[in-house]
Amino acid sequence: MNEPNLARRRWLMGCGATLLAAQMPFARSAPTTAKYRRYNVASVEGQKALKSYAAGVQAMMNLPATDPRNWFRNAFVHLMDCPHGNWWFYVWHRGYLGFVERTIRDLSGDKSFALPYWDWTQSPQIPDAMFDGVLTPTGSAFEKYTGNLAVFTSFAKQPLSDYWATLSAAQKAQLAARGYNQFDNLWNDVTGLDPKSGDGVSGNVAFATTCGSRYLSRDNPKLDPKTAYDVSPFVITSGLVLPTDFYNPQIYLSFTSSKTPSHNTAPSTTTKFSLLEALPHNKVHNAIGGVGAIDPGPYGNMVNFLSPVDPIFFLHHSNIDRLWDVWTRRQQHLGLPILPSGDDLKTFSNEAFLFFVDNGRYVTDGKAGDYTSTAVFDYDYEPGFGEALIDAPGGLMAKAAAASIQGLAKGNTGSLRADTSQIEQHLASPESRPLTVSLTVTRPQESSTAREFDVLLNAPPGVTQVSADSPYYAGTVAFFGPPMRGMAMLMDSTFVVPLPKRREAFATVQGAAKQEVNIRIVPSQGKDAHALTLKGLSLSTP
Amino acid sequence: MRIAAATLFVVLTLQAHAAEGDKTLVLPRALKAGEIAVIEVQVGSIARGQEIHVTTASGRELGVISPFGVRSGHEAGTYPIPIPADAVVGQQLTVHLSVTGNGAEPHAPTPLQIRSVKVVIGSSSAGQTDNREKK
Repeated sequence: MNEPNLARRRWLMGCGATLLAAQMPFARSAPTTAKYRRYNVASVEGQKALKSYAAGVQAMMNLPATDPRNWFRNAFVHLMDCPHGNWWFYVWHRGYLGFVERTIRDLSGDKSFALPYWDWTQSPQIPDAMFDGVLTPTGSAFEKYTGNLAVFTSFAKQPLSDYWATLSAAQKAQLAARGYNQFDNLWNDVTGLDPKSGDGVSGNVAFATTCGSRYLSRDNPKLDPKTAYDVSPFVITSGLVLPTDFYNPQIYLSFTSSKTPSHNTAPSTTTKFSLLEALPHNKVHNAIGGVGAIDPGPYGNMVNFLSPVDPIFFLHHSNIDRLWDVWTRRQQHLGLPILPSGDDLKTFSNEAFLFFVDNGRYVTDGKAGDYTSTAVFDYDYEPGFGEALIDAPGGLMAKAAAASIQGLAKGNTGSLRADTSQIEQHLASPESRPLTVSLTVTRPQESSTAREFDVLLNAPPGVTQVSADSPYYAGTVAFFGPPMRGMAMLMDSTFVVPLPKRREAFATVQGAAKQEVNIRIVPSQGKDAHALTLKGLSLSTP
Repeated sequence: MRIAAATLFVVLTLQAHAAEGDKTLVLPRALKAGEIAVIEVQVGSIARGQEIHVTTASGRELGVISPFGVRSGHEAGTYPIPIPADAVVGQQLTVHLSVTGNGAEPHAPTPLQIRSVKVVIGSSSAGQTDNREKK
């Protein structure tokens, strides 16, 4: 599996040198120094990019709907052509984002513009600036286009129908594979009309009115707890380190979803979703659009295929694309393939993408293989969550899943601040992995007779000794054997102690988002009360 | 001895409280260091806006399957969900699945909504996997 086979080599030799560099399963996915950098939206550079992004979105909205660069026309590229639930999901969206980025670079006047990304693992809430101006589809600038369905129809339908009339046979064949045999079929997905019954299906309406176009708001920007779990370090780490292949029939080993006859093949009973598409990609889309909260719809833009109307779409997908880049570089580090091989590579690469728009020019001769590398758009990413996994040694799951909070130590006492949610999670289930505290202590020398020390959690100041049934008792750490004065022993030792799941021990800290956690270490039998020094402590979460 | 008894108690407790929507899965073998269990949930036809909420039997969050891009009336496909190692008791894992959304109370899925759930073992060390599966 790790070595390219002969058939693949022969096929590659028939390709140009540029294609070779981009498509070799083991090739680097990006140049070491790219011309453009996609920054984390939370960074200073990311915030600067947002300003150019807003200018570009505004400029695209100002264009007539006959112009393929128009913001809403651009969203229809997604509705007409986007793949989901198959192995072209990542590569198609890379092409889509790359061309939109070029358009915004041109229309915004910011020649260094690159799309910022929203790292929802690090920050599971919509960035605040995405509620400003044209960066929210609920903004007033959208009203003259999306105020209601009639307004949108009068604005968009005829130009789109005219565009439909210009499509080639190959384009129409792809649309037919998607179920769009005629223009009305496509428009039914905009309105939610079920042609069989003649009824409207509220959940299927891709159009969203201005006021209902995004469920999450400035006052309610956070991903709900379930969505936050789907973007959590554990889930994202799993999605990055479990897959060994770009495509594998065993879906948990596959970075991409099912291999299907075409990128227009919709998910079906045989579709297997890759972990990152299944959980973070899908759930973030639906959470922003209001699935669960405003059932049965109509939902906000992000729930259906006109999701690119919401500018958050491109920050979300930029992060998805970044995770593909992280996985690719991790595979390269491990000497594993980054793309399919043999006939699979040929099939994958030759899939025609016929609907992209390159700054106003229709790209009607594109193929999936054109977009497997970030080099085609000459960008890279500011490191975000997952970057540390690329060259991490063993124990990846445990290492990445655990977050660590450092504390301050003085004498035999230490303190740190933990999230209340972490403590509540710790207390909620007796079965779940507990919070643990790592204590680094200096072992007392010969002057001390104590070898065992009790760890006290949030004990009141006057408490210096506890029994095992005390709510403040977190355990006992013990040294084996006496200190050896003549040996060059490492006198610092670190112990990991699971914190007790007793609510009484946390009763002194309630209400705030952060809670103080105090640790004190005392001789177990009350001997040598000053003998042990706590040098450092940290709290690890499951 | 005390640990063994405690483990047995936990298993018995889980079985005793098996509820509608609970599925107990048996791993082909115990997990080794660096491995995690992954469940693959094959979702049938569910309405737009409906999701599959997956937890342990005790309610610990495991993930939410939220179909996107599925045509109305089509089956939704198969979704992998990683399972934290400490959610597995011995070689056994009990998951609870419920259908949420569309204004209805969460309820156990029908056989048409959840076609199958199986568990596999995945490794964070590339190339080390156990492909044996249990329904």
